[in-house]
Amino acid sequence: MPSMHEELLRLKAAAGEELAAISTIGELEPFRVKYLGRKGEFTLVMRQLGQAPPEERPRLGQLANEIKQELETAYASREALLADAGSASTQATLDLTLPGRALPFGKLHPVTQVMDAVCSIFEGLGFAVAEGPDVEVDFYNFEALNIPPHHPARAMHDTFYISDSLLLRTHTSPMQARIMEKEQPPLRMIAPGKVYRCDSDITHTPMFHQVEGFLVDRHISFADLKGVLSVFITRMFAENTPIRFRPSFFPFTEPSAEVDIGCVICGGKGCRVCKQTGWLEILGAGMIDPEVFKKVGYDPEEYSGFAFGLGIERVAMLKYGITDIRLFYENDLRFLSQF
Amino acid sequence: MLLRLCVPLTLLPFFYNGLSLLSGDDHKTLSMKFTLNWLREYIDTDLEPARIADHLTMLGLEVDACVPCYPELAGVVVARIEAVFPHPNADKLVLCDVNAGQGLTRVVCGAPNARAGLVTPLALPGAVLPGGFTIKPAKIRGEESCGMLCSAKELGIAEDQAGIMELAADLQPGVALSQALGLVDTMIEVDLTPNRPDCASVLGIAREVGGVIGKRIKPPVDTPPALSDENLPFSVEVEAVADCPRYAARLVRKVKIGPSPWWLRQRLLAVGMRPISNIVDITNFVMLEYGQPLHAFDFNKLAGGKIVVRRARAGESFVTLDGNEHQLEPEMLMICDAKRPVALAGIMGGANSEVDAETTDILLESACFSAIGIRRTAGKLKMSTEASYRFERGVDPQGVPRAMERAVQLIAALSGGEIVEGGVDCRDGVIAPAPIILRGKRTRALLGMDLTLDRIGAALAGIEIDVEKLDDDTLRVTPPSFRVDLEREVDLIEEVARIVGYNLLPTTLPMVPMSFSEQDPLRELRKKVVQTLTALGFYEAINYSFVAPQHCDLLGLAEDDARRQSVHLLNPLAEDQSVLRTTLLPGLLENLRRNVNHQSHDVRLFEIGKVFHPLESGQPQEPFRLAAVVSGRRNPGAPVLHTGETPVDIFDVKGVVTQILESLRVGGTITCEAGATSQELPFAEPGSVLAVRGGEQILGWCGAFSQKTLKGFGVKQQAFFVDLDLAAFGGFSPQAKTFAPLPKFPFVKWDMALIVPEGAAAGEMLAAIHGCGEKLIEKAEIFDVFQGKNIEAGKKSVAISITYRAFDRTLDDETVGKIHQKIIEMMISRFNGQLREA
Repeated sequence: MPSMHEELLRLKAAAGEELAAISTIGELEPFRVKYLGRKGEFTLVMRQLGQAPPEERPRLGQLANEIKQELETAYASREALLADAGSASTQATLDLTLPGRALPFGKLHPVTQVMDAVCSIFEGLGFAVAEGPDVEVDFYNFEALNIPPHHPARAMHDTFYISDSLLLRTHTSPMQARIMEKEQPPLRMIAPGKVYRCDSDITHTPMFHQVEGFLVDRHISFADLKGVLSVFITRMFAENTPIRFRPSFFPFTEPSAEVDIGCVICGGKGCRVCKQTGWLEILGAGMIDPEVFKKVGYDPEEYSGFAFGLGIERVAMLKYGITDIRLFYENDLRFLSQF
Repeated sequence: MLLRLCVPLTLLPFFYNGLSLLSGDDHKTLSMKFTLNWLREYIDTDLEPARIADHLTMLGLEVDACVPCYPELAGVVVARIEAVFPHPNADKLVLCDVNAGQGLTRVVCGAPNARAGLVTPLALPGAVLPGGFTIKPAKIRGEESCGMLCSAKELGIAEDQAGIMELAADLQPGVALSQALGLVDTMIEVDLTPNRPDCASVLGIAREVGGVIGKRIKPPVDTPPALSDENLPFSVEVEAVADCPRYAARLVRKVKIGPSPWWLRQRLLAVGMRPISNIVDITNFVMLEYGQPLHAFDFNKLAGGKIVVRRARAGESFVTLDGNEHQLEPEMLMICDAKRPVALAGIMGGANSEVDAETTDILLESACFSAIGIRRTAGKLKMSTEASYRFERGVDPQGVPRAMERAVQLIAALSGGEIVEGGVDCRDGVIAPAPIILRGKRTRALLGMDLTLDRIGAALAGIEIDVEKLDDDTLRVTPPSFRVDLEREVDLIEEVARIVGYNLLPTTLPMVPMSFSEQDPLRELRKKVVQTLTALGFYEAINYSFVAPQHCDLLGLAEDDARRQSVHLLNPLAEDQSVLRTTLLPGLLENLRRNVNHQSHDVRLFEIGKVFHPLESGQPQEPFRLAAVVSGRRNPGAPVLHTGETPVDIFDVKGVVTQILESLRVGGTITCEAGATSQELPFAEPGSVLAVRGGEQILGWCGAFSQKTLKGFGVKQQAFFVDLDLAAFGGFSPQAKTFAPLPKFPFVKWDMALIVPEGAAAGEMLAAIHGCGEKLIEKAEIFDVFQGKNIEAGKKSVAISITYRAFDRTLDDETVGKIHQKIIEMMISRFNGQLREA
């Protein structure tokens, strides 16, 4: 019977030879089981350690451990070598230029994308979102907003009527009156939604989308209006977007303003889109008119606030360079898939 | 909020006195046009046109255009004909050697007045004349011609076309014609907001410019003479004083109707108004200058030499200048003579008293009418004129005598008329503007800017608003009569902001207490569903809320179907947009047709939007629905190589519904099962529809469109739909998220294949397994349904795989085998089946 010492050396030589001959990953596992496994040859030899003379046991134990470690290291490097070689052969046979197996993937309508972007900026500033009815009563669409019957400002709204007192809202502003009537300041709200005007051409569709917003509390000033809208514009467009405020007229705000941004098409040099002015109108805004406050029972001496509104399609057209507003409502996949 | 961020339609010019009416009904914003030279008659400024335009825009007078006048005159110069020779090949043409500043040029000309020594305009090669005619060097009947000598008409600066223009002999050859004739000018167009009728005049615009540059305007007439109404050959009686606060009239005799002089025609042409005759042109010119509409009557057509301002009588009718006859109503204000109406006050004159070529005596009206009255009448009669635009918004009562004086002076000067001494000026209805208290503190608080009272006062005084200091921080402000829009303190604060400049006001963020507001649960629900649908490969569609009434017929809805009860528009743009939708499907079917017709065959579209159901009274219900259409390949956008071209079928839409239910965590309470009726879904393929139910409540459907429906909507391929009452989903609370410990022991899967009658429902078979009460069953799944080879007719093979797992141990074959056998027996007896031999 060979000594345990000899037996260990023999195992070392045999295993080393066998490992060197392995050329595929598949052969590795049987080798591991044969020599290094729980019931492997190496384990069997180690079990005989107890029968060796006690003075030899430390030496034999150390030798056995050294050989085992050597074998394990050799095994690991062989495994790594074969893994590399394996992938190299795969590389040669797999045509990786074939397209990927894409799962279906849809997108939101560009109007919704812009609407969501606008809303999330204001929600980030603490504005709550409220939606109102599309079919609105004359009172909220006009009278509560300081536009009495026959007022010339009505001529600026091409209204779709349903009856003498019902109409399709021409703007999302009625939500100002509806909310203020129910709630007390401080208020920070935005009201996104569909609005309607009887008009149809390359820059008008009879239905389009607006976001209305307003903020009411004590001591709210025009400077605050400028601040909030400036934050919005720099978030919506770019940090360095030029902004200007200029006087305008809305019956439900005083002072009223229109907000322009530096033309995103020509960078302010003047082009067809900005009518050579270098500026694009983007928002209507103003301090809420005391008449509107009186109609909802707020004391205009105590409260002040501002309101603003913007057309979503217009922003989308400017952001994406869309030239015909009617494309939004054809729902052509060749259009929808671009955004 | 905003009054539409788009280019406003501008008005065609039409006049109280003159011509045409606008084609549509409603008028929009007025565009006020003027030229820089015209403006400079009233305000001393040498600012560049672009600077003036910029100032106006920043004052709230948005400049829509700022363009050179007579752009066609570029390339047209003054030239002198030095010599004329006969054309060798044409009797009516001559050859001219012309001096245009740089040696002699040879030009062929056919004008009878071409002669040596004549100074005349020469269009050089490259010039583009009105009408787009480009001048090029050419051979005319074999002779070189390097340019064109022009008539006034060819240059678009007058009607004269008898021959080439004869210019003053002392003009320097080579000088640009526009410069030589003083035609270098810029046309500026301002979009007026309805609150600023005072700026519907060149003087009003000049006043605003003056406010910026710190100068006062110089109006042509400042203090009109006092008029005596003694011994007049006419009389005026204002019965309706409230409707007509001021009415002035004067008589000019022996006028000669004829064309206006060049300067006046030029003014009108530059702003797009067609010159008509001296009298009409003067009334239009003064209206543009002062903003005061005027009307000229042929005095000899006025019965009794009398003007009566009164309301119309019931049953009266009236023919306006444009030839239209109007039925009058008692609240309409009329200008009448002794017998009959002669003008629709403030809107349009009458055919019966119109100035014509034979007119010799003019009664000129300058008046101020109540804004509300004119609005009502113009609105009722659907008329809109330059005059009514101004009256509807408010005309300065103090402008009445000034414009009158200016106009009669011009009439006398330009038509040779004699102004009759004296005149009428009824002004009983004029109310002086009430003073307004303006608080400095309030101004500072609202604008958020630290402004001294002096600065506030100076800003207002700069645009002719009278201010008086009451105390340290209070002003008493008297608005001028032309600023009808200034009625309240806040109106004055806006003026201060405007003059200070919006861009100089500070920019701050508001100090508002923190709060958290309730979120709209339906909005949150919509957001969730949208996420699921886009993840499932759907694109979002947005369709108009108004649709064609025919959609209900195309869907085959029964006469009494609730979806036929729709809200109708009174004034739709078109018949196919005349009712509010009650279902989202037609819109999506039309989208599908469009896409298929444009070769996008693989379509997955959804829409979440409101439908509208009328109620007995008041606003309709507007519930949100969700609809989707699916058509074409199952894997749109994926390479055919990997996924093949399998078309979608009903299980694709069923899967969409179940995934929506799953993502909303309502799969336990809402089901999607067979059982929809053809009454509910006449547009669906019978037998290919599923109902989505929550208890007894129907929440929607999914299924296949019938061939007839698809044909009706022009869709050329099979398509499937989902139609859900999304609003009703809010009534089902989502299953709470609670953690279940992860299993520690493995599952085992055992299969069975049963031959059952073909009518046996797979769903019921699964339900039977799930419902058999055996605790170790984790899941049962159908993995094959087969009919045909080796299966008896009328039967089918259903292969089911059952997953078994115990929570506390690894299952052994014996335990599972017993249970499995029990289930097979139960299934065989329950579904009248037999075990399929392998």
